[in-house]
Amino acid sequence: MTIKIASVDSVILYFDQIISEEVLERVQSTYIILKELNGVIDIIPSYCSILIQYDLCIYDYRSIQEAITKRLSTHQSTTIAKQNKLIRIPTLYEEGLDLERVAQCNHLTIEEVIRLHTQTIYRVYAIGFIVGFAFLASVNEKIATPRLSTPRAKVPKGSVAIADRQTAIYPQDSAGGWNIIGHTAFDAFEQFSIGDSVQFVRV
Amino acid sequence: MGFEVLNGGIFTTVQDLGRFGSMHLGVTQSGVMDEYAYGWSQKLLDNQNCNALEIMAGLKLKATSPTHMSLCGADLEFKRNGISQPMWQTHRVQRGDILSFDKRVSGQRAYLAVKEGFDVPNKYGSYATTLKEGIGSKLQKGDFLPFASYDENRMTCRVKQTYIPDYQKSVILRIVLSYQEEYFSQKEQEKFFSSSYEITLESDRMGYRLKGAPITPTKAGIISEAIAFGSVQIPKDGQPIVLLKERQTIGGYPKIGTVLPIDCFKLAQAAIGSSVKFEAIEIVEAQEKMKSIYSIFT
Repeated sequence: MTIKIASVDSVILYFDQIISEEVLERVQSTYIILKELNGVIDIIPSYCSILIQYDLCIYDYRSIQEAITKRLSTHQSTTIAKQNKLIRIPTLYEEGLDLERVAQCNHLTIEEVIRLHTQTIYRVYAIGFIVGFAFLASVNEKIATPRLSTPRAKVPKGSVAIADRQTAIYPQDSAGGWNIIGHTAFDAFEQFSIGDSVQFVRV
Repeated sequence: MGFEVLNGGIFTTVQDLGRFGSMHLGVTQSGVMDEYAYGWSQKLLDNQNCNALEIMAGLKLKATSPTHMSLCGADLEFKRNGISQPMWQTHRVQRGDILSFDKRVSGQRAYLAVKEGFDVPNKYGSYATTLKEGIGSKLQKGDFLPFASYDENRMTCRVKQTYIPDYQKSVILRIVLSYQEEYFSQKEQEKFFSSSYEITLESDRMGYRLKGAPITPTKAGIISEAIAFGSVQIPKDGQPIVLLKERQTIGGYPKIGTVLPIDCFKLAQAAIGSSVKFEAIEIVEAQEKMKSIYSIFT
């Protein structure tokens, strides 16, 4: 891990710049340790980085880096497993507008697509784009499907969708280019935290 | 007790310093585009970071009870009962007064604060309006902005002339090289710092899109990461975007660095078509500059 200046009052922690479960675990444990650091205004983890905005009245660009390094060396993240939630998403696949296309694209039956999508336990790699939108990975290669060439002007809230090897749930009506394969009534998007496990359950 | 909105104007919203501690949920920070002018609006009234109106001309209000208010920022031809009044000072408001902001003379955004702020809903610890998140809305005719009546005698307070900015047609943006600076070769950096960019029409509270010499990074994309205030993102067309208060929380375009907040505030007061130049600044000096600005208000 390296620490780099991001702005006048923020630094960014970089981990290996690859999307992998191993890196995710390190991001998650580092995030859990550092979010309690005094003088942190915002802390935003993503796939393989963590941005930390700090209070300029407490730190300068050097002392924040020392504080981060010190806290990481004195705190062991033994409690992470307990914080790692498994969130189940009841999903109605019959309502997926693109379900048939995803099946055709990958030379599978609809039943196989549903089976492969519900089989994997996904992890939250990042949250953003819109409030509560969690990027979940990794989707089985057999059902990975590229984004629509023309995004839809409106994807309804609760749509369960796939883009390449990622899957997600739209937390509100929004424009979007992901392939919609189902719908959920799940509405607790603020629960998602980086590293959480998520499984889709057919209803 | 409050203001009746007779005309909501182009884009008037309630703002404060913004929403902090929720970016990890995808919630943008939002808040006032010009913290400097807003800061003075608070200091003049002895307010502690209360909410204020961010006004972009066309607004017309009627007071239904007395208060003290302050006005700082852009010159929007402010009139009380049809008579021009100065900016950067407090004004006593009487019941029945009509306040109007007819057109932009200089600057883009003015801040109107009342003693102790407006009594409007708070979400995630802030009053900042963010339309794309469905938090608050822009003011419209018929809206009512409640505030506590304030009728004590109070001296008129003014901002000293030396602290009042002169909104220019050209802006220098000092930038701390950071993030993916190594994706920008010596040659591309020279081009970036020697070129003039123009502020385009596609500039808003989310970010200011600039037009000029295209900059080419060695890689077109990165794995999405969080975006700090003032980040200069270089998308595929090579035209820089300065990301401001309503920026997306994470994104996948390379960033050459971040603009000093005080210069972002100046940018927020610059009109479409104004010219912008970038200048590098070292972190030590950047932090000193920002601390001296913040010390005015604390």
